[in-house]
Amino acid sequence: MGINKMQQPGQKVDGWKPRIIAFLCNWCSYAGADLAGVSRLQYPPNTRIIRVPCSSRISPLLILKSLQHGVDGVLVSGCRPGDCHYISGNYVARRKFAILNNLLEYLGIEKGRVHFAWVSAAEGKRFAELIKEITEEVRALGPAKELVKKQD
Amino acid sequence: MPDTSVMIRDTAKKLLVEKRVDLIIGFERGTLPLRSTPCFVRRSVEAEKLIWNASCENNLARYLRKRKEKVGIVAKGCDTRSIISLIKEKQVAREQVFIIGVPCHGMIDRRKIEAKLDGREILEADEVSEKVILKGHDFTEIVAKEEFLHNSCNTCNYRNPVIYDVLIGDKVEENRGIDEYGEVKEFEAQSADRRWQSFTNEVSKCIRCYACRNACPLCYCQECFVDSSQPRWIGKTTNLSDTSIFHIVRAFHTAGRCVDCGACDRACPMGIDIRKLTKKIEKDVKELFHYQAGVNLEDVPPLATFNLGDPQEFIK
Amino acid sequence: MDKASLSDKTGAVLVIGGGIGGIQAALDLAESGYYVYLIEKSPAIGGMMAQLDKTFPTNDCSMCILSPKLVACGRHLNISIITNAEVRYIKGEAGNFQVTLVKKARYIDIDECTGCGECAKHCPVRAANSFDEGLSNRAAIYVKYPQAVPRAYAIDRDKCIGCGLCEKVCLAKAVVYSDREELQSINVGAIILSPGYGLPDAGLMYNYGYGKYPNVITSIEFERILSASGPYQGELSRPSNRDIPEKIAFIQCVGSRDSMHGKTYCSSVCCIYAIKEATVAKEHSPIPLDIAIFFMDMRTFGKGFEAYYDRAMNEYGVRFIRCRPSMIEEVPETKNLRIKYETEDGKLIKEEFDLVVLSIGLEPPKEAEELANRLGIELDKYGFCQTGNLLPVESSKPGIFVCGAFQGPKDIPETVMQASAAAASASASLSPVRNSLVKRKEYPPERDIRGEPPRIGVFVCHCGINISGVVNVPEVREYAVTLPNVAYAEDNLYACSQDTQERIKETIREHNLNRVVVVSCTPRTHEPLFQETIREAGLNRYLLEMANIRDQCSWVHKEYPEEATEKAKELVKMAVAKAKLIQPVAQTSLEVIHSGLVIGGGIAGMVAALNLAQQGFEVYLTEKREQLGGIARRIRHTLEGDDIQAYLQNLITRVSENPLIQVYTNADIIEASGYVGNFTTRIEAGANRDTHELKHGVVIIATGGEEYKPSEYLYGKDPRVLTLLELEDEVAKGNGRIADCDNVVIIQCVGSRESNRPYCSRVCCSESIKCALKLKEANAEMNIYVLYRDIRTYGFKEDYYQEARERGVLFVRYEADDKPRVETITEDNQNLLRVTVKDPILGEDLVIDTDILALGVATIPAADNKKLSQLFKVPLNEDGFLLEAHMKLRPVEFATEGVFMCGLAHNPKFIEETIAQAKAAASRACTILSKDVIEAGGLVSLVDENKCNGCGVCTLICPFQAIDIDTEKKVAMVNEVLCKGCGACVSSCICGAMNMKGFSNAQILAIINAS
Repeated sequence: MGINKMQQPGQKVDGWKPRIIAFLCNWCSYAGADLAGVSRLQYPPNTRIIRVPCSSRISPLLILKSLQHGVDGVLVSGCRPGDCHYISGNYVARRKFAILNNLLEYLGIEKGRVHFAWVSAAEGKRFAELIKEITEEVRALGPAKELVKKQD
Repeated sequence: MPDTSVMIRDTAKKLLVEKRVDLIIGFERGTLPLRSTPCFVRRSVEAEKLIWNASCENNLARYLRKRKEKVGIVAKGCDTRSIISLIKEKQVAREQVFIIGVPCHGMIDRRKIEAKLDGREILEADEVSEKVILKGHDFTEIVAKEEFLHNSCNTCNYRNPVIYDVLIGDKVEENRGIDEYGEVKEFEAQSADRRWQSFTNEVSKCIRCYACRNACPLCYCQECFVDSSQPRWIGKTTNLSDTSIFHIVRAFHTAGRCVDCGACDRACPMGIDIRKLTKKIEKDVKELFHYQAGVNLEDVPPLATFNLGDPQEFIK
Repeated sequence: MDKASLSDKTGAVLVIGGGIGGIQAALDLAESGYYVYLIEKSPAIGGMMAQLDKTFPTNDCSMCILSPKLVACGRHLNISIITNAEVRYIKGEAGNFQVTLVKKARYIDIDECTGCGECAKHCPVRAANSFDEGLSNRAAIYVKYPQAVPRAYAIDRDKCIGCGLCEKVCLAKAVVYSDREELQSINVGAIILSPGYGLPDAGLMYNYGYGKYPNVITSIEFERILSASGPYQGELSRPSNRDIPEKIAFIQCVGSRDSMHGKTYCSSVCCIYAIKEATVAKEHSPIPLDIAIFFMDMRTFGKGFEAYYDRAMNEYGVRFIRCRPSMIEEVPETKNLRIKYETEDGKLIKEEFDLVVLSIGLEPPKEAEELANRLGIELDKYGFCQTGNLLPVESSKPGIFVCGAFQGPKDIPETVMQASAAAASASASLSPVRNSLVKRKEYPPERDIRGEPPRIGVFVCHCGINISGVVNVPEVREYAVTLPNVAYAEDNLYACSQDTQERIKETIREHNLNRVVVVSCTPRTHEPLFQETIREAGLNRYLLEMANIRDQCSWVHKEYPEEATEKAKELVKMAVAKAKLIQPVAQTSLEVIHSGLVIGGGIAGMVAALNLAQQGFEVYLTEKREQLGGIARRIRHTLEGDDIQAYLQNLITRVSENPLIQVYTNADIIEASGYVGNFTTRIEAGANRDTHELKHGVVIIATGGEEYKPSEYLYGKDPRVLTLLELEDEVAKGNGRIADCDNVVIIQCVGSRESNRPYCSRVCCSESIKCALKLKEANAEMNIYVLYRDIRTYGFKEDYYQEARERGVLFVRYEADDKPRVETITEDNQNLLRVTVKDPILGEDLVIDTDILALGVATIPAADNKKLSQLFKVPLNEDGFLLEAHMKLRPVEFATEGVFMCGLAHNPKFIEETIAQAKAAASRACTILSKDVIEAGGLVSLVDENKCNGCGVCTLICPFQAIDIDTEKKVAMVNEVLCKGCGACVSSCICGAMNMKGFSNAQILAIINAS
């Protein structure tokens, strides 16, 4: 798919399909996504998963870079509280995300572009539903506008 | 009561003579009216240069890092808070600094005065208690200081130094009845579109001179992420997206560290309302994690710790 | 022992049962230099824990924490997992058993099966899925559960109709209809039994209507209903009509504490699991849920359990009703259930519920008797494995050890501790032949690829038709060739098959590839396999990248083949973009000092020290007091009758005489530094306070606990008021004053379960009963009153509670907010010690003038815990006990590697539990001590010293204490031995100085930019 350089951000284009990046922690959320697969639970094909060791690996800058790159939605997902493979990574991440989430909203970046979720290794169904839900939400918002880097 | 400048000089001399410090960082008179500039005094005789007035706006904490010698520093409330942040971040050792705390009534925002004078040049300015007497070629105006303070001074809750080794003069009354986050709340109340519009209006002024970064006592990274080539995070032009990310990430980097000294705001040649971002983060850090930067040496920085019960309503 | 007999021993161990106990024992042993055969009767390991939704008291996802252990076991070079297998017979003796196994036919070749599931999709049969307790259906060809290890299918021959469809659709040719039962002989030096437990037939509790009323279910069925991967996908609903229940009742003690059905023991776990299920149900339910738990005594005695109980009651609003309902009847129209019960004050109540959960107990595994016969071990009267009370993991036959619920009902952490303890005992008996049978793999030298431009090879897998049935694989391959730096691409029927592995190796050589991208399934299961392959071809194992186009593409986008193909291409592009930037990752090895420091010379410390020494390692044992023995010096005997002083003397002698153990008494720890494998600790010891500097590879903290000295109930003010330990001492001394008493009162929960000390001290109920029985022995006429809140005689200790009642000990319950009152009064010139307590049944005050008042006081942590927690950088919990790395699966260790704990320093516990935990700590410690070097490195963090300002945020963030600030250079330093590669420091670093191998900023950014 790639970023369509010809397409100007903010324009509704026929046949437009949302592009979503999902950062998933290896131990729970990525495993949850795998379980959705093993269970053959269907969800829309718009999401690109990036595997990271832990949700705490994701810095705000990586989320911003995704938005700048032109994706229409970002999901960051880690282990539920208490389940973190690295004991406390998700708690540390949660604080950063709280600040970032508020800041993005404050700046006027539409709600529904950046999502945070806990998904456990057993929640295949939840993962599939989450992706459906987020895809719909992003689809309703239309192509990303804010922060998308236009070619100079 | 003796003059504050005199007391600072006497303290500085004594500290230098008694070899309790090797260097005093304070203010001296600037070349223009309503301006003062940081000065570095190593010999007691030079201490005479030191002054104190409502133009001592610079945050001198910025000059404390990477010093080998023992340093005495003239510090307002906000400066002491920055010093605390720097101590917590191991950039300065507490025992290495002698803090000459100076209670502060707020610093004058020259731009506000200039705006009032509508282009008329000030040749001389004198502070007399709560007033400033401004003289030009063909005018003399007397203005009330408090009407021309920096925005950050208007919302300041720490006019008195938080830590100090000696306090110059008496403590002053803290601001009362102010809503520190009034502007943030006002901004929050606007529609998302308006907010985005205002934000982009502000950052589109940015010329990427990095004066904000250079003035900030906490922007001490060896290599700022904007200058990194491995990886190259963002472009260096004034592309709106890149510039936005620069401002968002810089603000985020101050989370739990920024003491709202206003240095970035003052430094910006384009008048970008940088505090609009930093103040929001400061507010959230306080509301979400009950943390305020630079108010004591004990609390663990909010992004270096967590509570099991931290807010997570935003997480699905 | 002479040399000849040493060489007779076999350096392998058989573990029977692949539940969490067996898995833990297998991993400990395999990591300590033994070859392990792990046999499991079902088609996959995982046991009961795999069926659980959440685990108490943290509500952690069971699968999230179990799955890494399953995978670790599955891929361990020195663990051979044999599924569908059981023991037929054994010969030989401790040190050298010849075991014959029967491997039942699975009808699937595990080595060929890729777990793709195409077969099950085509199978026309629907059979009850026992993993979901029959609440869902599966095919006749099935995988036990999605995360199963081995992830291979099996055919249920009883259900299979032999249609042959699965064989036809299996492109891997893994279906083998001709499979037959086989015998296999193995030689092992020891055997560990961990067959787990069975569940009682709830239908036998006829008055509860299980099996008759659809909405009366067992707790394990409810667990599956709650599970996100269960029959209802985690949607709380009841079986009769899938309605969401609004009112649920739990009935406790079904199949436990039940003399009618011969189960007089307490199953130990049901109270707490019912609380878990109740709170999880409340969280799952979309509507407000009313839950009532009918119980007799609330037995929340474990670490953190009491607080969990409190939360359930006060935060979740679960109703706790102290009553055993007599019967349940169904309301035919609604299929609701009407429960009849009597309140404590005698009121008869009928209440209707939508769903009733029977909290069923644990019983011996169904095969226990047969297993016992085949192995020649004894069972206890209930059919659990017979062990000595102070030898908690030793069966009646030397060389055969036991762990987990087969030894008696217990929860996961107790099972894990016993599993490690059993491993420690087995290892101690075999230590001369350690490392004699383990496999080590030899690899060709690594090719130096420095300076080479990336030459990436891409291998796209069809996975039979699992991928290619949806994704156009040739198109993906053709696309891959067009990507920058891709030197070669091909597609394979199965990337993971043996012949493809060989092909990949050849291709690497032939095309001089220096990076490999495998485009197939999930790296979580397959990355190690492909890493191994490229390593065998001379590439560093980290020069591999994977794109998951099966689990996260073809399987989930069946309806959109074109978009799935586009997505697959993009995933390849992203993987290639990252692959361009990946670098070889070097591993370094650090030498291990083969000695251990054990802090604390009580039973816990001595047992741990002795086991380390028996395993062949030097030990420094420090004790702060003048003598070894700890608090056990004050305990005369156990409830079960073991003579503790004799045990202790024997233990002290063995420790003192062991040439490998150096004992320091009057010892204080002054300073500690270093890390796993390489600690230095300075102590001051002996009468002269001599300083010793000890070098050691591991630390075991066993600082013990103390008896709370109460201020309540006139203790210290009236000589007739004693603590239980003091009473025990008086009784043992044969103090006539006590034997002649008419009345003795014992008050429970003194200083425990209070707001300032909220935990349950676990042992005091049993201690009281022990004292009461002793007193009755001395004077059968004595009136003994035990004033209690809940009697928590869990497990087989329940029998002694019953015995005490039979022998006339009176148990009177009191409420926490209406405590007994104790006063001294003078009547008729007599100074009386008067206890007044409200009897909840009669609703009246009971007044006792007692001769002796004994207090069941709290066990409190040693004062030293705090200092040691700081010295060794390990945490304490709110109550001051040491806090383990994980409540369930890492009960004796910390996030800080190389530091372990056992005994009362961890939590109040019985001596037999302390012994098991001490051995467990030794076992975990030996996984380090038994290695000459530990590998450091891999995907760890690294610091760019030019960017670092030494602010120290990373040191605060790191959960593993792996980062320190170099005091000279003022920059962060990552200890690669300790770093686990979470990356929290990278995202927390303000100055961008932290980065991470394998997940670097540049790499992640490249993936984003390629998406």
